[in-house]
Amino acid sequence: MHRLIRRRAAVVILVLLGLLIVTAIAAPLMTPYSPTGIAAGDRFLPPSAAHFFGTDELGRDLFTRVLYGGRIALGIGAASTVIAMIVGVAWGFAAAMRRGWIDEILMRLADSAMAIPTILFALVLVAAFGASTINLAVIIGLLLAPVTARLARSAALDELKSEYVLAAVASGATSMRVLVSEVLPNTVPALLVLATLNAASAILAEASLSFVGLGVQPPDASWGTLLFQGYQRIYQSLWYPIFPGIVIFLMIWLLTLLADQLQSVLDPRGQESVRS
Amino acid sequence: MTVGAPGAALPTADTPTAMLDVRNLRVSFETRTGVVTPVRDISFRVAPGQRVGLVGESGSGKSLTALALMRLIHPPGRVGGQVLLNGRDVLQLGGRELAKLRGGQVAMIYQDPMSALNPVQTIGHQVVEGIRIHMNLGAREARDRAAMLLTDVGLRDPLRRMKSYPHEFSGGMRQRVMIAMAMSADPVLLIADEPTTALDVTTQALVLETLMRMVEERGSAVILITHDLGVAAGFCEDIQVMYAGRIVERAEASRLFRHPVHPYAEALLRSVCDLDVNIAAELPAIAGQPPLPSALPSGCAFHPRCPYALDICRTVEPAPLRIGAGDAMAECHLAEERVADAVASGDR
Amino acid sequence: MLALTSILIFVTLRVIPGNPVITRYGATRGVDPKALEALMHQLGLDKSIPEQYIDWVGGVLRGDFGVSYFSQFSVTTLIGQRLWPTLELAAVALVLALLVAVPAGIIAGMRPNSVIDRALSGFVTMGMALPPFVLGIVLVAIFAVRLNLLPAQGFVDFAEDPRKNLTLVLLPATTLAIVCAAPILRFLRASILETLQSPYIRTAEGKGLLWRQVVLRHALPNALVPTVTVIGLIVGNMLGGVVVIEYVFGWQGLGALAVDAVLKRDYAVLQSVVLLVAAIFIIANLVVDLLYGVIDPRLRVGGQGT
Repeated sequence: MHRLIRRRAAVVILVLLGLLIVTAIAAPLMTPYSPTGIAAGDRFLPPSAAHFFGTDELGRDLFTRVLYGGRIALGIGAASTVIAMIVGVAWGFAAAMRRGWIDEILMRLADSAMAIPTILFALVLVAAFGASTINLAVIIGLLLAPVTARLARSAALDELKSEYVLAAVASGATSMRVLVSEVLPNTVPALLVLATLNAASAILAEASLSFVGLGVQPPDASWGTLLFQGYQRIYQSLWYPIFPGIVIFLMIWLLTLLADQLQSVLDPRGQESVRS
Repeated sequence: MTVGAPGAALPTADTPTAMLDVRNLRVSFETRTGVVTPVRDISFRVAPGQRVGLVGESGSGKSLTALALMRLIHPPGRVGGQVLLNGRDVLQLGGRELAKLRGGQVAMIYQDPMSALNPVQTIGHQVVEGIRIHMNLGAREARDRAAMLLTDVGLRDPLRRMKSYPHEFSGGMRQRVMIAMAMSADPVLLIADEPTTALDVTTQALVLETLMRMVEERGSAVILITHDLGVAAGFCEDIQVMYAGRIVERAEASRLFRHPVHPYAEALLRSVCDLDVNIAAELPAIAGQPPLPSALPSGCAFHPRCPYALDICRTVEPAPLRIGAGDAMAECHLAEERVADAVASGDR
Repeated sequence: MLALTSILIFVTLRVIPGNPVITRYGATRGVDPKALEALMHQLGLDKSIPEQYIDWVGGVLRGDFGVSYFSQFSVTTLIGQRLWPTLELAAVALVLALLVAVPAGIIAGMRPNSVIDRALSGFVTMGMALPPFVLGIVLVAIFAVRLNLLPAQGFVDFAEDPRKNLTLVLLPATTLAIVCAAPILRFLRASILETLQSPYIRTAEGKGLLWRQVVLRHALPNALVPTVTVIGLIVGNMLGGVVVIEYVFGWQGLGALAVDAVLKRDYAVLQSVVLLVAAIFIIANLVVDLLYGVIDPRLRVGGQGT
C-alpha cells in the first residue's frame, strides 16, 4: 500500500475513483433533486448551473439520475466482483490443489464457459433467470468466475512450486493448511489485481446488459439504462446519452489503470492478465 | 629486437599505409550512474590480407570494438575517434554509404549462429539477400552464386539445403553458412566475433579451417576476436591483447607466445592448460577479477592483479612503448626492462 | 469441448421457470389447454429434457437448428439471413483494425517512449477501457447527429444496394475496429520491441540493409508470428462486442437476433445462435493454432497435436 501511495499516478487514480464512488453513494446529499421527480416544463435542457448534466425527457435532472444510477451500477459491480472472486478463487484453487482429473474437469468446464463470448452468455443467463438486481449481480459474478478460476489456478500453481511450500509439506502440513497459510497470502497481490480487473469487467457487463434492456429494469436506472434512454432520444438531446457514457467509460478506465498500477507495484514479474 | 622510443603507435614514414587505420577509438555508454567507457582510446592498423587476433577476457571490450568498427553500436552507446578504411572514416559516413559498406567491403560474423540467423527465413533466402544487396545480380544468378558459396564452405547439395531453416542445421554448419553469407561480396575485411566459442572442439577446427580457406582465396584481412589463445595461435599472424578497454600488448603471434612483455599477457599464457602440466601443482590462475568498466582502478588498470606492480603503476597510466620496427608495442611501466630481459635471454 | 459448451447452454436455458409457449400466447387466461398441449407437442417441449437435448443436437448435426418458438420460421433460415451481415461487419471491422493497428504498432515498436509512442499507448488504454457501445454512441453523436454525415441506424442487404450497405456499415465497423485495434497495437508493439533485441537483427544490419529494410523484412515477420494468436483472441472478443454494436446501429445480424430472442424468450433461436457463435470462436482459435504452425517453421518439424 505504501509503495502504491508513493506513485503519483496511482494517487490521482485512487482519488478520482474515490470521488466517483463517494458521490454516487452519497447521492441524496449531493443533489437537491429527486431522481424520479417530474418537471414537465424543463425537458431536454442542456447543461447549466442548475442542472449540471441537463435534463431528460421528463424534465428530471440528469446529474441526479446519473448519481443514483451510480449507486445501482456500483452496487451490482461490487457484489458481482465479490461473487466472482469467491467462486473463481475457490474453483481455481481447488483445481490447483487437487490436480489430476478433478483439475481437468474443472478447467474444461471453465474453458467451455469461456468459449462463449461474455455478453452472449450473459444474455442466455438473463433469459433463463430474469433480471432482478440480485440476479444480475449473481449472473455477472458467475460470468467472471471461469476466467478468475483460470488465473487463480495459475497463481496458486506458481506458489505451490516455491520452496517454502515444499518445506511446509515436508514438515507434515495438510493441504488445507498449506492453502491457507502459504498459498493464499502470497497470491493476494495477484488476486487483488484480478479483482480490480473483474470490477471493471463487471461494470462493463452490467452497463451492456442494462443498455439492451436486459439489465436493471425501470423505474430503477443504472448507467446503462440511462445510456439507452438517452440514445433513443439522441436527436433531441446530445447530452442525454453522452454523460452516462462518459461516466461508464471513466469508471472502467480508472479501474483498468488502477489494476495496471497495482500490477507494477505488487507483482512486477506477473504475466499479462486476461482482459475481457 | 630493439627497443624504440615510447610513443603512440602511429604510422611513421616507413610503415606501409594500412587498409584499416583505427585511431583513438572509444566507446562510451551513458548510464543512470554516469558515463561508462568500456573501450578507451585504442589505436591499431590492419594491412590488406593480414590476420589479426584480438584476445581478452569477457569485459575487456573486444566485442564492443568489433561492433564499433561496423557502427553497430546504438544509443545510448556512443563511438568516438576515427576508423579509416582505405582513407575514408567509417564513423562519418551517411546512412546509405554505411549500408553499402557493411556486408560489402567489411563483413562480420557473430558468436552464436543459431540466434544470429533469422529463424523464420530459409538459409537460401538469407544468403541470397546478402548477395543481392551488394551485387547487381538477378534472382537466378544470385541463387547460383549462393549455391557456389555454400559449396565453398563445405555444404553438400547446396541447392536443396538452401530451402532449409536455420534450426535444421547443426551449429558448425550454421556458422559456415554465416561465413558464406559474410564472404559473399568478397569483403576486404572480415570481423569474426568469437566465431567458435559456441561450438565444440572438433567443430571449431572445421570452422576455422573453412574460415582460413575462404579468406585466403579472397585475400581478405581478418580481425579474429576470441578469448581462446589456442584459437588465436592457430589462426592469426599478429595478436593484440586487450584488458579493461585498452590494448595492452601487440605483437607478432610467435613472439608473443615465446616472450610476452605485458604481465597480463604473460599470466594469460601461463594459465592456459598444458597437457604436460604437473597434476599435483596448483593450476595457475590470475588472481582477482577483471575490473568493471564502471569501476576502473587508478593508474594501470591491471595493477591490482599484477605480480610486478610498482608504486608508479598505481597512480600513472602507462604509455604505449614501441617494440622493434613494426607495430609491436606494450603498455607497461616495466616494459623496457622486460624487453631487455628477453633480449638478454637470447631472443632475436 | 464444443459438446460441453452445448450442454452448458442447453441446460441453462431449460432450467427456467418460464414457459415459452405461454409467452407466445400472451396471457394464459382463456387459452385452450388442448391447444397449449398441442403446441407444446409440436415444439417438442413435452419430452424430457435429455430427449430434447438429443433432438436438438441431432438436428444441429444435420444442419437443422429447429424451429423458432416465436415465429414459424425455421431457426436455420433465421440464422442464414443474419449470418452474412454479422460476418460482413466483423470482416470490415477486422480489416480496418489491422489497417490502423499494424502500421501504428510498427512505428511504436521502432520508437519506444517517443512522443508518438506515448500517444499511441494512451489511445490503447482508452480503447481497451471504452465499452464498444459507448464509443458507438459517441460516433453516432458526432457523425450522425451533429454533422449529419452518415446514417445512424439501419440495414440494407448488400445485394440490394451495395452503396447504401457500405455507408451503413461504416460507423458500426469503425466502432468495432477501434475497440479491436487497441489490443492488437499494444501486442504488436511489444512484439516488435522484443524482436528488435534479437541477434539476427544485428546480423541483418551488418549485412548492409537499411534500417527501414531491417524492420520490415526481418523484425516484422517475426513479430507477426505471436501477434496472429492475439488476433484469434480478438476475434473472440469481437463476437461479444458485435452483439451490442448491432443493437446500437440497428444492424440486422446475429447479435441483434440474439438480443431479440432473449427478449422474446425464444430459446430455440437463442441456443442455436449462441452455440454457433461459440463454435465460430473455437474454430477461429483452431485456425490460429494451425496458422501458427504455418508461419513459424520451427513448429513444423515433428509438430505436436493440438
